[in-house]
Amino acid sequence: MKRLAWLPPLNPTRRLSFATKLGLGISAIVLFVSVAMTATFYEMASRSLTGEAKKWGRVLCENLALRSRDALLAQDLLRIKNHLDELKSAGNDVVYAFVMDDEGHVLAHTFPGGFPVDLPAANPLGPKNDLRIQLIDTGSMLVYDFAAPVVVADNRLGVVRVGLAKSGVVEDVVSALIDPVVNVSFLTMILAVVLATVYARRVTRRINFLREHAASVVAGYLDPPDSAPDVPPQPSLESSGDEIQQLSETFNVMTHTLRLHLDELHAAQRELTRQKELMRTILDSTPDYVALQDRDHRYMAVNKALAEDLGHPEAAIVGRLDEAFLPEAEALRNREALDRILSTGLREEEEIQVRRDGALHWLHVVRVPVKDERDEVVAVVRSAHDVTQLKSYQDQLIQAQKMESLGKLAGGVAHEINTPLGVILGYAQLLQEDVPPGSSLHADLEIIEKQAKVCRKIVADLLGFSRQADCAKMEMCFNNSILEAVTLVRHTFRLDHVEILTRLDEHHPIIYGDPEKLKQVWINLLNNARDAMPRGGVIRVSSRLERDRGVVLVTFSDSGEGIPAENLPRIFDPFFSTKGVGEGTGLGLAVSFGIIKDHGGAIAVSSPVPGDEGDEGRDADAAGPGSQFVVELPLDHSDKAYPEGPALLS
Amino acid sequence: MAVSTPTSVTRSAARCAATLLALACLFLAGCKDQETALKVDFDKRRELSHHVPQEGLTYAYLPQYSHPISYARHHQLVAYLSKATGLPIRQVFPATFDEHIAMVRRGEIDISYVNPFVFLKMASNGAFAFARVIEPSGSPEFRGEIIVRANNPSIKTLQDCRGKRLIAVDPSSAGGFLFPMGLFLDNGVKMSDFSEVTFPPGPGGKQEKVVLAVHAGLSDVGMVRDGTLKLLANRIDISTISVLGASQAYPGWLFVARQGLPPDVVQSISKALLALSMDDPGQAPILEAAHIQAVIPARNEDYDPVRELVARVGADSPQ
Repeated sequence: MKRLAWLPPLNPTRRLSFATKLGLGISAIVLFVSVAMTATFYEMASRSLTGEAKKWGRVLCENLALRSRDALLAQDLLRIKNHLDELKSAGNDVVYAFVMDDEGHVLAHTFPGGFPVDLPAANPLGPKNDLRIQLIDTGSMLVYDFAAPVVVADNRLGVVRVGLAKSGVVEDVVSALIDPVVNVSFLTMILAVVLATVYARRVTRRINFLREHAASVVAGYLDPPDSAPDVPPQPSLESSGDEIQQLSETFNVMTHTLRLHLDELHAAQRELTRQKELMRTILDSTPDYVALQDRDHRYMAVNKALAEDLGHPEAAIVGRLDEAFLPEAEALRNREALDRILSTGLREEEEIQVRRDGALHWLHVVRVPVKDERDEVVAVVRSAHDVTQLKSYQDQLIQAQKMESLGKLAGGVAHEINTPLGVILGYAQLLQEDVPPGSSLHADLEIIEKQAKVCRKIVADLLGFSRQADCAKMEMCFNNSILEAVTLVRHTFRLDHVEILTRLDEHHPIIYGDPEKLKQVWINLLNNARDAMPRGGVIRVSSRLERDRGVVLVTFSDSGEGIPAENLPRIFDPFFSTKGVGEGTGLGLAVSFGIIKDHGGAIAVSSPVPGDEGDEGRDADAAGPGSQFVVELPLDHSDKAYPEGPALLS
Repeated sequence: MAVSTPTSVTRSAARCAATLLALACLFLAGCKDQETALKVDFDKRRELSHHVPQEGLTYAYLPQYSHPISYARHHQLVAYLSKATGLPIRQVFPATFDEHIAMVRRGEIDISYVNPFVFLKMASNGAFAFARVIEPSGSPEFRGEIIVRANNPSIKTLQDCRGKRLIAVDPSSAGGFLFPMGLFLDNGVKMSDFSEVTFPPGPGGKQEKVVLAVHAGLSDVGMVRDGTLKLLANRIDISTISVLGASQAYPGWLFVARQGLPPDVVQSISKALLALSMDDPGQAPILEAAHIQAVIPARNEDYDPVRELVARVGADSPQ
């Protein structure tokens, strides 16, 4: 195993095995204790024996003092001498003894060959008549000198002194005791070393197994080896063994539990990974823009759609702010909304319009606060759904409803105006019969008649727009209907340098419709095409039968300047016109739209003309991108309905 | 995996040091304090000459008690006399009654405090009485008593003492021999009627030895002076001892001067003794220690009743 860098440096004792350390440690402890106990015993024995010797000397001295009282009073020096000699012969430890009177005169002593003159003053008694002990160094030995007063009736008659050899009393006895103690200590130490070695090996055998087992656990093998000593087959914490046995079994239980927990962790990890991938898949699959932002407005997570919308990978977005990706106004709006939710804790939703790649998009944004266990907002989830198409449908629906309402209004007004207009026209014609032709009055009546007819045309258009005009449908030839209209205007258009080219389906499809109204549609479309080419051009008219779909298509393409893109959605609106005042009412395409719709068909416009249309046979003089109207009508006259509203082809 | 960090190594070392310190403390606890030895040169010696006691008057208390008791009772009195008379006086301690009498006779004891019987023996050698004491009981006289064991069924009267073992204080004792012996004679019991007559051996304490011999059953009948039983009240159960009879009262202890002691000295000492009073706080302890109530003048004639008793008993007659 590689050694970790932060471990302390090894010292030589670390290289020893634990068994050797244990044996050496126990031996050292026994050695230390043996030496300490031997020294302590020596000192305590010396102290005790010294104390006993002092007690003995005290007794000898006090006894001598008592026995000397009579002799001292009687001045019987022989009796005193006898007492001293008896004491001296009592043991070899008594070095000397002598008696002094109260004036300090030595009355008797045991010294042969003269009395040491300095000895009386060596151990003076105090006035309290207490026994006094003084250690005296004679030069050749140490002597405990005991001094006891001879007291009668509280009066000191004299002093008795006894000298005991310290070495004889204490050291000889202690030395006699210490030898066997040292021997016993040495033998105990030898025995302890042997027993400690055996014991250490026995103890460390199981510890070594535990170490090997731990190493195998570190290596990833959690099952105990088959050679495991004293390990029950089933891990259990109930054990009757010693601490190492309990440690071994506890370690076994630990590894067993660890293995179970690791299995559970692996399973949980797989489940978490699966759920994470599932969640990521869901988030990345949704077209909505989903993001999680913290209290500092930083992105914590984004889904794939948002990352693509922002134009950066997810890793580059996480941890950054809106200002790094969004326009300043949009980022500011997001920041304000985020602050409101963080402060109020309430969810918000709104529809905003943003610009992406030059186009405007409508987004439905929902912001939901994320709260922690203390009910505090810690983050905000933002989900944005692109509702541009839905908004377009909403606008178209509103427009359709507006058209319907406007049609009803126009129909009602036209119906009411039609009668008085007929009266005006009739009286104008009658008055012309009464007025001579050529007169100014006749000319005025002709103007009235002409303008009245214009009004009736407008009213008729209004009625047609509101579908209140009568519609006489019959089986008719689709191509003939187109040709009739083309023939009708071709001559006139040539005067305006507009050429009409036709390419009609040879199958001559038969449809069920009103020939007059359809012709009105065709003429209307042709007139619009001519108006789009003030300097002349080409109008291509083609029809195509699509039998499998059961429809027939007719296409009117011009080579004019085309229709601006912003006008395309409004081109079928009533009264919408780009022509000058008096040049058009803006009802032509609206009426045409109503007629085609009434026939169960559809009309669509595209500008410029798609590339695959019109190139064939186009004149070299033709200019402009042009416009193309496509009308689709069903072949049969069943109640097949087309979707409401115009099909806009861009 | 547990790993030893530098901090844990330091802690381990600290624990080891603490353990060794504790063991060292245990070791040091067993160490004794070193005593300092005083050096004395034993080679510096000389032969001692005997100390000569101070010259002066000698005073002795008849050794009926041991020397320490004699000293304890009378050393204050001796000190008082020395101070009151201005004479150097020291107390000496004869071992026995006979030695005391002999020392007086030889002139080695100038002033003696003795019982009447011994006085009679001394008087034959010229010693004379000059003061006598009043006992602690307040009487200038004292008695002798005959004691037996209270539970001895064979001795109910003095006559029952015939054939019994007798112990007395000393042949020279007044209260402990002479006076009770007179009582026996008055009741018809002679010394020869006893199966055994003994005296306690050794110096001093003979009154107490008599009581202890009777109490122990070594003797059947004992003779002591009055007041002796009280001395042993705290040492034995004295209720086991009964007083079979008490003698008549005789003059008590007295102070005797040897023959030839200058009269002025005797006069000075007598004056000092007679001046002692229990009413004097400084003198009361002296009298209490000596078991003396007071001291009164005395003459040799005061002890004629004792002399008659000695003659009647047939004890050692005054020489």
